[in-house]
Amino acid sequence: MDPFFVIGVLVCVLSAVLCVGAALLRQPPNDITILSVAAVELFLLAYAVGAAVRQLTGEPVLGEPWEFWGYLLTALVVPVAAFWWSILDKTRWSNIVLAAAGLTVFVMLFRMQQIWEGVAGL
Amino acid sequence: MGRGGRAVSSRKRTDGADRPGSAEIGLDGLPSSRAKGPGRLLIAVYGIFALATTARAGFQIATKFAEAPVAYLLSALAAVVYVVATVSLARPGARAYAVSFIAVSLELVGVLTVGALSIFDAQAFPSDTVWSAFGRGYGFVPLVLPVLGLLWLRRTRPGRDGP
Repeated sequence: MDPFFVIGVLVCVLSAVLCVGAALLRQPPNDITILSVAAVELFLLAYAVGAAVRQLTGEPVLGEPWEFWGYLLTALVVPVAAFWWSILDKTRWSNIVLAAAGLTVFVMLFRMQQIWEGVAGL
Repeated sequence: MGRGGRAVSSRKRTDGADRPGSAEIGLDGLPSSRAKGPGRLLIAVYGIFALATTARAGFQIATKFAEAPVAYLLSALAAVVYVVATVSLARPGARAYAVSFIAVSLELVGVLTVGALSIFDAQAFPSDTVWSAFGRGYGFVPLVLPVLGLLWLRRTRPGRDGP
């Protein structure tokens, strides 16, 4: 299995669990939950660099490359938007917004992996 | 948290309770009661669906419109409904409230109608639209979302406990 995918899934799931946990403790977004979302963003950046390098060194996307990059560029916006949206209202619900970012990126990563391996269409 | 500018002063306030005269600043500098507490999450999920359905409808119409025009036009309609719902829920005011009520109601009608039709007439509604089979492809979130949306709109209706 693709190590990039495994690491990404772990980072996303860990971030979502931390954020839901903080919400259950009735915490507004704190350093831990915000940093966990930052880790998701950081992973996506590393994934993008990795994907670019792999494609340039002769490991092409088996599906549609523009679809893959469309997903990736959109995914990069998600943690940033969730961060912006959540800090404007400091209630525990904002932590679930942060958790939703991790889950959304998780689903998108799953699709990106399918496109990378050339499985199924939209 | 050491960062300044805490917008909400009371951490313990009951969720969804409108506080008249609240200093909370909405998207465009006006107070918005619908974008607080649970509404924050609701709008975020609507935003995610707005993004996902717009991208998908654009892709379907651009690449394979002739395969199932009715379904893909409905895909586009769903995308518009999600975008309108997201924006109007986030905006303050009675007019935005009315618009969001219409959008969320349309969404409920849409997911129920398309969901039922997709089961009886699979030809016209291939399973790759948001509302097919009551949103099964999206974990049934499209079915639950308008119900939660209407409940939230009922709790935050103008004049309930505000001015």
